[in-house]
Amino acid sequence: MGRIKKKGTSGAAKNYITRTRAVKKLQISLPDFRRLCIFKGIYPREPRNKKKVSKGSTAATTFYYTKDIQYLLHEPLLAKFREHKSVAKKIGRALGRGEVGDAARLEKNLIPKVKLDHIIKERYPSFVDALRDLDDALSMLFLFANLPSSEHIPTKTIALCQRLTHEFEHFVIVSHSLRKSFLSIKGIYYQATIQGQDIMWLVPYRFVQRTAGDIDFRIMGTFVEFYTTLLGFVNFRLYTSIGLVYPPKFNVKSDEEGGELGAFQLEGKAITDGEPATNGDVADAIASAEAQAEVDKIIANAANESIADTQDSTALVRTEEDEENNEAIDKFETTAQDADVLPQPQASSTEAASLFAPFTFYLSRETPRAPLEFLLKAFGSKRVGWDSILGDGAFTTDESDTTITHQIVDRPTLPNGSLPDPPPVPETVHGGAVPPKAQWPRSTVPGRTYVQPQWVWDCINQGKLLRPDLYAPGAELPPHLSPWVKPKKGEYDPNLPLEQQEPEGEAEAFEEEEGDGDGDSVSEDEEAPAVQELEDAVIDRDSSVEAGEGMDVASAEDDSDEEEMDEDIANEWEGFESEGESDISDGEAERRQHQRELEAEAAGVTLESKPKTAKEQKTESRKKLEKKRKQEEEDRERQKMMLSRRKRKLLKRIEYGTEKRDKEAENLRRKKRRIENAKEAANAI
Amino acid sequence: MAPYSRKRKVTAHDGSADSSTGSHLELGNGLLEGILSHSEDESENTSDEDVSIEASEADEGFSDEGDLDSDDFPDEAEEDEAEIRNQIRNLKTSDPFPHTTRADEADAGPADGLEDLSGVEGLKRNYTVTTDANGNPRYLYQEIDPVYDSDDSDAPATANTIGDIPLSYYDTYPHIGYDINGRKIMRPAKGEALDALLDSIDIPKGWTGLTDPATGKPLELSEEELDVLKKLTRNELPEEGYDPYPDMVYYFTGREEIMPLSAAPEPKRRFVPSKHEAKRVMKIVKAIREGRIQPYKAPAEVEEEDRELYSYDIWADELPRPEHSMHIPAPKLPPPGFDQSYHPPPEYLPDKTEKAAWLETDEEEREKEYLPTSYEALRKVPGYDRFVKEKFERCLDLYLAPRVRRNRLNIDPESLLPKLPSPDELKPFPTTCATIFRGHDGRVRSNSIDPSGTYLASGGDDGTVRIWELSTGRQLWNAKLSVEDAVDAVRWRPCKDAAILAAAAGENIYLIVPFALLSPDIEQSGRDILDAGWGYAASKPSTNGVATKEPPAKWTRPGTRLEDKGVLVQISVRSSVKVINWHRKGEYFATVSPRGQSTAVAIHALSKHLTQLPFRRLKGLAQSAQFHPSKPIFFVATKNSIRSYDLSKQELVKILQPGAKWISSFDVHPGGDNIIVGTYDKRLLWHDLDLSTKPYKTLRYHQEAIRAVAFHQGGLPLFADASDDGSLQIFHGKVVGDLMENATIVPLKVLRGHQVKSRLGVMDIDWHCREPWCVSAGADGTCRLWN
Repeated sequence: MGRIKKKGTSGAAKNYITRTRAVKKLQISLPDFRRLCIFKGIYPREPRNKKKVSKGSTAATTFYYTKDIQYLLHEPLLAKFREHKSVAKKIGRALGRGEVGDAARLEKNLIPKVKLDHIIKERYPSFVDALRDLDDALSMLFLFANLPSSEHIPTKTIALCQRLTHEFEHFVIVSHSLRKSFLSIKGIYYQATIQGQDIMWLVPYRFVQRTAGDIDFRIMGTFVEFYTTLLGFVNFRLYTSIGLVYPPKFNVKSDEEGGELGAFQLEGKAITDGEPATNGDVADAIASAEAQAEVDKIIANAANESIADTQDSTALVRTEEDEENNEAIDKFETTAQDADVLPQPQASSTEAASLFAPFTFYLSRETPRAPLEFLLKAFGSKRVGWDSILGDGAFTTDESDTTITHQIVDRPTLPNGSLPDPPPVPETVHGGAVPPKAQWPRSTVPGRTYVQPQWVWDCINQGKLLRPDLYAPGAELPPHLSPWVKPKKGEYDPNLPLEQQEPEGEAEAFEEEEGDGDGDSVSEDEEAPAVQELEDAVIDRDSSVEAGEGMDVASAEDDSDEEEMDEDIANEWEGFESEGESDISDGEAERRQHQRELEAEAAGVTLESKPKTAKEQKTESRKKLEKKRKQEEEDRERQKMMLSRRKRKLLKRIEYGTEKRDKEAENLRRKKRRIENAKEAANAI
Repeated sequence: MAPYSRKRKVTAHDGSADSSTGSHLELGNGLLEGILSHSEDESENTSDEDVSIEASEADEGFSDEGDLDSDDFPDEAEEDEAEIRNQIRNLKTSDPFPHTTRADEADAGPADGLEDLSGVEGLKRNYTVTTDANGNPRYLYQEIDPVYDSDDSDAPATANTIGDIPLSYYDTYPHIGYDINGRKIMRPAKGEALDALLDSIDIPKGWTGLTDPATGKPLELSEEELDVLKKLTRNELPEEGYDPYPDMVYYFTGREEIMPLSAAPEPKRRFVPSKHEAKRVMKIVKAIREGRIQPYKAPAEVEEEDRELYSYDIWADELPRPEHSMHIPAPKLPPPGFDQSYHPPPEYLPDKTEKAAWLETDEEEREKEYLPTSYEALRKVPGYDRFVKEKFERCLDLYLAPRVRRNRLNIDPESLLPKLPSPDELKPFPTTCATIFRGHDGRVRSNSIDPSGTYLASGGDDGTVRIWELSTGRQLWNAKLSVEDAVDAVRWRPCKDAAILAAAAGENIYLIVPFALLSPDIEQSGRDILDAGWGYAASKPSTNGVATKEPPAKWTRPGTRLEDKGVLVQISVRSSVKVINWHRKGEYFATVSPRGQSTAVAIHALSKHLTQLPFRRLKGLAQSAQFHPSKPIFFVATKNSIRSYDLSKQELVKILQPGAKWISSFDVHPGGDNIIVGTYDKRLLWHDLDLSTKPYKTLRYHQEAIRAVAFHQGGLPLFADASDDGSLQIFHGKVVGDLMENATIVPLKVLRGHQVKSRLGVMDIDWHCREPWCVSAGADGTCRLWN
């Protein structure tokens, strides 16, 4: 007979360990344990059966996987922590004695340096693993790069974060791997695809961050320490993978002048032409351009001769070449409605590289320079200039430069004459040779496109150049949409017109609701201000209509009034009593109709079929739909009756989610409908 | 110290210098100064000046008037002036502001103004300049000539115009003279009067006249404090009994002793430089020269270390991560939605109520941590104030939150719902009562529709079997089988070639070919089938020892009365038969008589007129028995289980456990794989024989016991049950050949019509062979056709 098994010696009880026990086992302090867990990426677990693990008690406890903790026992960092503790003791003693010099010496020489290389390798055995986990690292480092230094955040850390993030941005620019970006109220989201991994990060707007409240910067600092190491190695790998020298040259002077991205100079054979040209090189470029032009001319002449000889053959060859050169995937369009759509990979890096390539941009001084510079360069533009107060590294700081094709402006247009005339340029100083500077609000340069910053984002997300007139300065911008949300079936899609999304009869139902609002003024009053606001917004937006005081009438009221009028007329014309028409049930209506027919027959007259008013038709169709829906519901109930209890519960859970989604979508549609109605009303007036 | 305990006026009267200085110390501030100076005016010149100023001012007061009499009594005026001055000097209380410059000019005349020569100096030069021995200018001052009788025209006018009479004349008057306007000059207050006034004022002990800045109350000082103050003003140390200049005490004598303590002479090493030190120094010098010892340089900051940090490819030899089920990577944050945009479509913006609701909810409980807001331009977007907080919370989640792999509930809810055939698809099924067959006295126990579907046979408590035309309800044929026993079961033989009805009344089973009802050839073939067995039974009456045993049944002719009607065979068994069921081929039929233990189930062979008892002993009370529609399998229902036997192998195949307390009846699906069971405990059970021995569905829709159940045998997916609550229930029960799919059961219709008599409702039910019609036998003495 085998021995009786003791409880709690195997299985789940052994597989999990509480945090207190883990800390005791490792013989370190709780903060050290926390640091270790952050570095090693060890997280608590939720055992399937809590009672089995904690000997019957169900108190809230944190459990770790025992093997994780065992694995920590061999961690070299543990020794470092202990060393650090002993040195800290020595320093404390020295300070207690007032031997400041000794303490400083101890701190300088004896404090062990923590290296996290091996942990990076351990946690991310392959490079792709590291890329997969880069989201949080990038968001965190971009945040810290924008924070002011304080007692918790040393300047050195911030500088390191800035350097690493800029290096990463440079890689994204050079490799053209940025895919999407989104202006949210939290900050700017970016998404890059590197080696098949989608990496999304969030960069805050450049404002002073609110760091008050219970935020423990020691924890964040630990994360930042780990993430900087990670991003450093990732950067190294990324740079070397495209043949760049990793720590790119860092120009301290340029950085001090606000060069940001421009303070780094990439080196490597593959990238000489990808280097963003600065204004200093323009002279050379011009010189070489002249030479190039001559060469081109000669070649062209030669080519012309040859073309004259063999025109047909070249044409043939060219077409062939065209076909061959085009290695991009063709887009398959379905010809029929009901066909399945197979997914195809989206825009490749070459497309990204060519989006803004032919343009020269100029950023006005009120635009956010850092994100625009990054985006424009990542999407192929090599010539981005800005006002000199925005910092160093611009392609040009001269707004009147004739090569500029696009100017990004975030200032409203002002009516003519509202601006004071620019101070007259003293002729003696400039000698009349310098043309007067073209400043945006006063004058526009012909041939230059002026757009608001959102244009850049929307172009990127849609992968094509959009009409710039929609984004002209001072224009009412189209809504900015998240490129990541793909509305599923049953969800609201703001891109589609409302008619395509509304289930049958919903529009009528909404209108009915609005119409009903006339009767009970209470509900109307509640909703009225919101509607009012929206209406006002709509009115303000519409430039062709003058915003008047008398436009406050809700559209629904108008409609219903008109309808009532129609009805009255119709009633008079018909001569039948039809009060409370809508209340009459179908059966009753039928009966009456029959009665009428009988009467007509008795009188010897043929009864002309009663023409129906629009409203009647509407209500009829709605009623039909309602009936249908009711029947469907009944069917569903019947089906549910046949289910087992377990399945019924499961169904209930699923339906909760879908119901919530449907409700949300319906709410959005209702709002949209209301806005559209308001807009229509505004247009009508 | 005595003076401090006394009142202040005492110190004022004390003539001694000591006490006056003492009082100066105590109260030497502000107004009090003047009062004290009053006591020393006789000895000091400074106060003299003060008084003279007063006098000169008084003189000026009447100088214009004095021009009249100045010619007459210039000298007297002088004298008077001096006298009055003296008097006033005695009486004057205080003048805190010394007007020295005015006094100089005014007192040019008086003899006591000798020291005020500087004032005179400014008027004319009273020196001659010569050169001294060094050649520097030297001032030689003239002898000062005091001019007593000045002819200054604007001599001070007299204030007291009493003329040249001694003042003593006025001693008895309250005034001392007259002014220029003839008004009395009143005698100023004397010392005694002041004393008397001061006596009347009581000054508290320790009064200083100051306010304590700390408390705002009058400052009072104790004696000790005053003592300390006094010492401080004297530049003495405030401590009691401290001697600032004590006598010097010598620590050692400056004398040299004659006898030294040691007689040893001074050693030489005290005078010779050390060789050892020289050696060591030389060593260091040599090392410095050779460059082994470098001058100290502060070590440079190790800044380059960071640069070195990421200088190698850590993934140079990368391996794929080994799959581990316990490794759960951190979930990524979801991408932002439309409502997070800085300029979302207007329908995403919250209206007022939503906004208020959002603001009202606690920050932790908000569904969304942000409120969708629209900004017209990018420049108007403010910073997001929860940014750091959110990142911090993400950090906490990463290392503090337990990670659980949760399966996404990615089931299409439609797939969960059973696929119900649409109501149209379910359609033909009986809905209304079409015909009522009346005629039986008492309950109708059983009924059956013949295989051609034109006749209905029924048997009831009155012991008769009646045959009706199904479509019209007309009774075509009847026969009274028994007087006292009820007809418990009637069943048509299921073959179309001949119409044979089996009916059971008590212990007898009758096989009937109804006379003059059917077409002659069918009638004849029925008679042939029944008659064929007579020969067989006669040829083998008793061959091998069966005679010893009583045969289980006797096949006889029932007698001419019944034979004329068409009742051709009577089979007598040992106990009363309740159930008859035919084999589908019509050769065999099984009877069940629940009371007869070993003879409960009998199988009768029609062609041989032979009765067999397949079970020697049966566990439990037999309730019903059925043949499998296609296989040689025989089902027997006992009180709470159903057993199936393989007849060819003669063995038990399966025991079904419906879990019922008392099975009333059961029926086998024409496919043979499904069984429905009706029970007296109100349940209808569907058994899938392939699935399990437990029921696949348990239906409880009846209020009373279920008496009979029946499948439609003609190809429609219908079944029905009859209950004591007087209702029939029709179900759709579709069985698909596919083993993966379960049978679909849909309740269709409840048919009510039968009346409940003495707690019995519907006794039996049978389906039409082709049409969706069913017939029920009721305890109210009627049969009903439903279509």
